[in-house]
Amino acid sequence: MVTEMTPRERLLAASRKQRADRLPFFHNWRHLQAGLAERECRNRGMGITWSRPSCIMKMHGVTAVEEGDRSDPFTVRRTYSTPVGSISLLEKRAPGAGQWHAQRGWKDITPWQVERAIKTPEDYKVLKYMIENTEYVADYFPIEQAQEWLGDDGIVLDSFYGALWDFVPHSPMQTLMIDWIGSEGGRCFIHQAKYGDLVEDLYQAFSKSYEAMYQIAARSPADIIWCPDNIDGVLVNPRLFEKYFMPEYNKMAEVLHSHGKLLAVHMDGRVGVLKDLIANTPIDIVEALHPPPLCDLPIGEALSLWKDKVIWMGFPATVYELGSQTVTEFTLNLLKEVVPGERLAIAMSTENLVSNENLLMLTSILENAKLPLTPEKVDQIEKSLK
Amino acid sequence: MDENKYLAALKESIVNLDFDGIHKAAQEAMDAGVEPQKTIMEGMAPAMAVVGDKFETGEYFLSELVVAGEVMKEGMEIITPYIKADSSKKAERVVIATVEGDYHDIGKNLVATLLKAQGFEIIDLGSDVPASRIVEAVKEHNAVIVGLSALLTFTMANMGEVIKALEATSLRNRVKVIIGGAPVTPQYAQSIGADHGALNAMEGVHKCVEWVSSSRR
Repeated sequence: MVTEMTPRERLLAASRKQRADRLPFFHNWRHLQAGLAERECRNRGMGITWSRPSCIMKMHGVTAVEEGDRSDPFTVRRTYSTPVGSISLLEKRAPGAGQWHAQRGWKDITPWQVERAIKTPEDYKVLKYMIENTEYVADYFPIEQAQEWLGDDGIVLDSFYGALWDFVPHSPMQTLMIDWIGSEGGRCFIHQAKYGDLVEDLYQAFSKSYEAMYQIAARSPADIIWCPDNIDGVLVNPRLFEKYFMPEYNKMAEVLHSHGKLLAVHMDGRVGVLKDLIANTPIDIVEALHPPPLCDLPIGEALSLWKDKVIWMGFPATVYELGSQTVTEFTLNLLKEVVPGERLAIAMSTENLVSNENLLMLTSILENAKLPLTPEKVDQIEKSLK
Repeated sequence: MDENKYLAALKESIVNLDFDGIHKAAQEAMDAGVEPQKTIMEGMAPAMAVVGDKFETGEYFLSELVVAGEVMKEGMEIITPYIKADSSKKAERVVIATVEGDYHDIGKNLVATLLKAQGFEIIDLGSDVPASRIVEAVKEHNAVIVGLSALLTFTMANMGEVIKALEATSLRNRVKVIIGGAPVTPQYAQSIGADHGALNAMEGVHKCVEWVSSSRR
């Protein structure tokens, strides 16, 4: 007889490709709307995932100054000065930034750079200096603290370093493309075409620097190491993925696996064009995979294609927008699609806040998704809702 | 003068994403006295159409499409000073924008590039654009199509605000409104009164061409 698992045991079992008692479902700590619905859903089996860093980044010889006009308090210029020059960016934040979850606004909007730090070929050497003079210092306290607080209610993910206000822990090419050079107007592609050697050189510098960070994560108290890479096949095409992303995931996995850790990568975009390449990566958990209608790869197809991987899917916000009836129909169809329901966990959302109504609706279905799922069990769930 | 040689060099530079090549080809074409309009219509525009075809068949990705557009832009910077104003038929104008509150512009730029390749003139208002500015641009440029983009579910509603703002003027009946972006569905487009919800960039571009095809005949 299978005893009732805790949310932590359930999510870990699925993540290790073992049989869980029922389909794990969870909310991301960052999106967790503490209150009435959240408490009820958690009492009915909803787990929590919480990402915390395992190291502190120290940059030597680098000063960073933020300044802004207080009549426009949400627009800030940040200037990095080094012995080889300076770069600066202009960042727009939403109301609530700094008062809730890091720099996210009340509506969960992340800051947006309206002017990028890397503008001209001369800027590359400054960022290269910064990354080459970065030291990573292990600090497991944030993870240990969250693990103690969470207990069996969920899982703490190690997200490498904390996104303070310098870097987001994207993999090297992704951080260049979306954090430093930027994708607006295809800037990152134009830089790759015009200044290929500089981009390549900086990529190599980031990749080398990150090796120390992977070693720290490998010794982390967390079971799962999370690379929040925001992969989208429109931006990261197969040629880029193969050349710059797969080798980095290989490097991460080699270090992490040797210490018994699982590697999860945040792939929340349209990854259909990358599906065959993803199959050939050593990634253990494809995290935040969003099925149609938001993205382009159905969960059933992904599970069938990536037999050695676990999927933590993100429930598509588009479906939430269409009302509770659509949420119900979509979820029941999803359960039928993924029978027997192994190697899968469902995040209530990875990108947006969820209304209480939708949170409760989804919980009323998922709390009854006992594994292994069968079409008959899904029919029973449907009947129980009427 | 063998014009075809110069036109072929322009075309080849764009299709091969060659920045150095386009500078040389554009200057040589001008020095040789090739009609500037001809270099655009018979050299560069067909090249972008080839790039668009390669994108549609999966040989080229967004990166190549963007770079080809940039190569063409640099060629245009050389050729534009040689263009004399004329009264020839103007291309249909499309006002395109990412709506207020949303800074994601990859999809919008992709569609803009593909529309240019189809002979449209693009008025690109950028991202985080308020409805009032879109309405002003439609009026000012006498646009026939408005393209609206959003990636975030909570900014999607602002596409409906633009349509309402167009309806509040006499402009709504004059323009077709097409919306796009990852969270957009045809049902959503219908619910806010758009003329079309694009399933993807190419499908949206085909719809725009379909809308103007009768006036192009």
